[in-house]
Amino acid sequence: MARTPPEMLQGTVDILILRALALEPMHGYAISRWLDARSEGVLTVDGAALYQALHRLSHRKWVSSEWGLSENNRRAKFYSITPTGRARLRAESAMWVSYAEAVFKVLRPA
Amino acid sequence: MPMRRKRLFQLPWRSRAAIARDVDEELAFHLESRVAELTAHGVAPADARRRALHEFGDIDRTRDYCRAVDERDDRALRMTERLAEWNRDARFALRTLWRAPGFSLVSLLTLALAIGANTAVFSVARAVLLAPPPYASPSSLVRLYDASTTDLTERTPFSPANLADYREQQRSLVGIGAYLGNTPTWQPEHGQPEILIAETVTPDLFGLLGVRALHGRTFVPSDSASGLGLTIILSYEFWHRTFGDDSTIVGKRIPLNNRTYEVLGVMPRGFTLGMSEDVWFPLKLSYPLNDSLTARRQHYLNVVARLRQGVTLERARADLATIARRLEAQYPEANTGRTTVIVPLHEALAGDLRPALLLLQAAAVMVLLIACANLTNLGLSRSTGRRREMAVRAALGAGRARIARELLVESAILAIIGGVLGILLAIGATRALLALDARALPPMFDVTIDARVLAFSLALSLATGVLVGLVPAVRTARDDLHESLKAGGRAATAGGDSLRRALVVAQVSLAVVLLVGTGLLVRSLRELTRAQIGFDPSHVLTAQLRASGHGYDSAGTIGRFYGQVISGIASAPGVVAAGAATMLPTRGSVSTTLRIEGEPVDERNLPEVGFVAVRGGYFEAMRIPLIAGRLFDRTDGPTGPEAVLINQAAARRFFPSGDAIGRRIRIGPNPNGEPMTIVGIVGDIRGEALDIPAKPTLFADYRREDWERSAFIVIRTTGDPNRAAPLVRRSVQRADPTLAVRDVAPLEDVLGASLAPRRFALGLVSAFAAIALMLSAIGIYGVLSYMVASRTREFGVRIALGATTRSVLSLVLRQGVAWSLAGVGLGLAGTVAGGRLLAGMLYGVRPVDATTYAVVVIGLLAVVIAACAIPAVRATRADPVESMRGE
Repeated sequence: MARTPPEMLQGTVDILILRALALEPMHGYAISRWLDARSEGVLTVDGAALYQALHRLSHRKWVSSEWGLSENNRRAKFYSITPTGRARLRAESAMWVSYAEAVFKVLRPA
Repeated sequence: MPMRRKRLFQLPWRSRAAIARDVDEELAFHLESRVAELTAHGVAPADARRRALHEFGDIDRTRDYCRAVDERDDRALRMTERLAEWNRDARFALRTLWRAPGFSLVSLLTLALAIGANTAVFSVARAVLLAPPPYASPSSLVRLYDASTTDLTERTPFSPANLADYREQQRSLVGIGAYLGNTPTWQPEHGQPEILIAETVTPDLFGLLGVRALHGRTFVPSDSASGLGLTIILSYEFWHRTFGDDSTIVGKRIPLNNRTYEVLGVMPRGFTLGMSEDVWFPLKLSYPLNDSLTARRQHYLNVVARLRQGVTLERARADLATIARRLEAQYPEANTGRTTVIVPLHEALAGDLRPALLLLQAAAVMVLLIACANLTNLGLSRSTGRRREMAVRAALGAGRARIARELLVESAILAIIGGVLGILLAIGATRALLALDARALPPMFDVTIDARVLAFSLALSLATGVLVGLVPAVRTARDDLHESLKAGGRAATAGGDSLRRALVVAQVSLAVVLLVGTGLLVRSLRELTRAQIGFDPSHVLTAQLRASGHGYDSAGTIGRFYGQVISGIASAPGVVAAGAATMLPTRGSVSTTLRIEGEPVDERNLPEVGFVAVRGGYFEAMRIPLIAGRLFDRTDGPTGPEAVLINQAAARRFFPSGDAIGRRIRIGPNPNGEPMTIVGIVGDIRGEALDIPAKPTLFADYRREDWERSAFIVIRTTGDPNRAAPLVRRSVQRADPTLAVRDVAPLEDVLGASLAPRRFALGLVSAFAAIALMLSAIGIYGVLSYMVASRTREFGVRIALGATTRSVLSLVLRQGVAWSLAGVGLGLAGTVAGGRLLAGMLYGVRPVDATTYAVVVIGLLAVVIAACAIPAVRATRADPVESMRGE
């Protein structure tokens, strides 16, 4: 399994989380499962990076949190994206796409 | 039952433990979900657990990180909440204060006056006592004085020969610098000549003070004064005024005293040795060795020194005392009974003003105390009046702590607004007072409201506000609010009343102290202005002249110049008499030693006598009466036996048997000099200062003195003395167009200047006393009104039972007067104790002065009765029917 070193991809983890929460409020485990499925197992974020990112995002007021019940009726902390978080996601996504395209152009065999 | 404040909405505040629990639970949920998923896919539970933990990564670090982030969030949240709460409290307090405009206005006024008084005094005290003189490391600078061993306060400048010995022998100082004032004439190419203020300084002086030139250079210790020749250093102010900030002036030569001086440098702005000098010359410290007694006996050098690193004042004192004893043994004719005193420079500069400032500070503190009493009383009355409101709010769920806090916030807000008003008041008042008479403070002291003063005043007002607000706040918190709700807010606690009464008594006693102090100072000033000064200053114009330049090097040339000027003035219409003297009253004095022919002379202990040389119609112009003998006349003159006059004090002291006229005397260091004959006795005048009686003085004929080039002209006119000013200038121009006139002013202004610091202090103290009286009247009025309001029913019942209007009136008045009398008694006791503080400021009146006491007591009682009148009248209007029904 490809493990993502958190210190390298901190910004990336943030934007992936925001993307996940843009769909619907989720708890941390659900976010990690969604990322796993969506990237077909390539972008697996480990728990440490995920929760540190969630609390950081919450501190920046990009996400908010409240306690709720999980699918199997356990108490779980649910995160949802805030309007600021959504704006951030839009800006970061655009930047990421243009960045990825540029990298892709450079790497493409001539 | 204690009530706890319930929040209407749950604030998302969590304790540290709750935060930790939440983080743990969140992470546990993640792990368990992962374990559940893995076991669902057939992994053994133990393996699943291990794998989940491994996949998670550094769980301890994550836990700490999440907790830390959440705690920080929580703190920020609390802070914003608290700020919002303060904001709410402040708005609430402002609204409440707005709804009680009477209370708010009186409180603000009280605070503004008290803080204003204290700020004004502190700003002056800061300038004079706290701000260091504008030199490098000022704390190690000292002044040295030649002083009498029996009275160290009897100080004189140094003689050049003694100074040379001290400079050579001392081991405790970096160096000893000396300076001596003079008045050169500045002769610009275009425009009128002008007399400047200058100091001639030893070349090492600037280095000792640690001040560098702004342009060019100062004299430096390695300069020998003789090598410096005709050089000069300009003050910033003179340079700016005369050369328009032109720095190329350095190195050029400028004309003074009919010579030209090379400009070595320009000093930075504000630098002065204390006289607001225009220029400085180098001083050559040589003295004629063949006349060494003269060089030891003539004291004219002002001395500044700097302590060596690590040397204490005590060690320097011991060092100098050793040299003093050596010099005493070596030159007994000059130094018997003399020693050297050493005083920190800053103390020497502030010396004269210190007692006045201490007095002002004491007065300001009393005003503050009176204000505190007033504010406490106001707050108490108000909180009692608001008991019902408080009870209702408590019943609605507001906690005691919350109500107390609201009261405190109210006080703090009042304090801040009052403090700001007070600071504005102080700025205005000090400016106005100093604008009235800028001579009240020496020019070196710059009175400004700086950050330090601002911080002091705001802290003071906040402390006042909070302390004063504490009393009602604590009482409210202690109160049984339910009881007062039942009682309808009427029940007044007896303890509150006695506190109120005590405060009023204290207030009145402080006001009495201030009023008595002011009364004594006012009487002193009046005594001074009509003191038997011995001359008549009205209609007299004075001016300073100086015969500068090498054309004036003999009694003949100097005499011709002054003779021409005085006769030119005296013959003009509107002039009654004109003359000249070496010194004006209150502007200083010169002394010499006296030997009387035919009487035993103790060479080691010669009597001192004041010395003034006069010319022309000086005595007529000053209206100093001739008591016996004659004045100078045509038979006296530059040749022949020299005649002198003495004043009555000298006649009494030296010729108690009344045989002064015709006696021969000698003055100065030389025992074999030319004798002088006393030809007349004139009336005593207050020469040194208006509050010091005349000392024995000798008047010599100016025509015989060739050493004194400067003189003050005095002119008695028939009308406004200022109209003679152009006449003085014209006469000097005609006698010598290269010479100038300085300080043309009526004699009354010259005397007024000597009283300016006293007037300044008196102005402040009497303002404080007026404030104190007003505040005390407000205090008595407030407490009586409150008493009448809370006893309305009692008065109603009394009236219903047949009490007359008069008896009710006198009942209330008696209360007010009784408190005031208690205050007066305490206050008078206080003035007797505090009189010592005043003693140095008084003149012609003793600290315990019956007249002043009587006036103060009667005036105060009049004000008290006026303040009691309104509540007393209100008491007589209590409606008997209404009060029965209310019961």
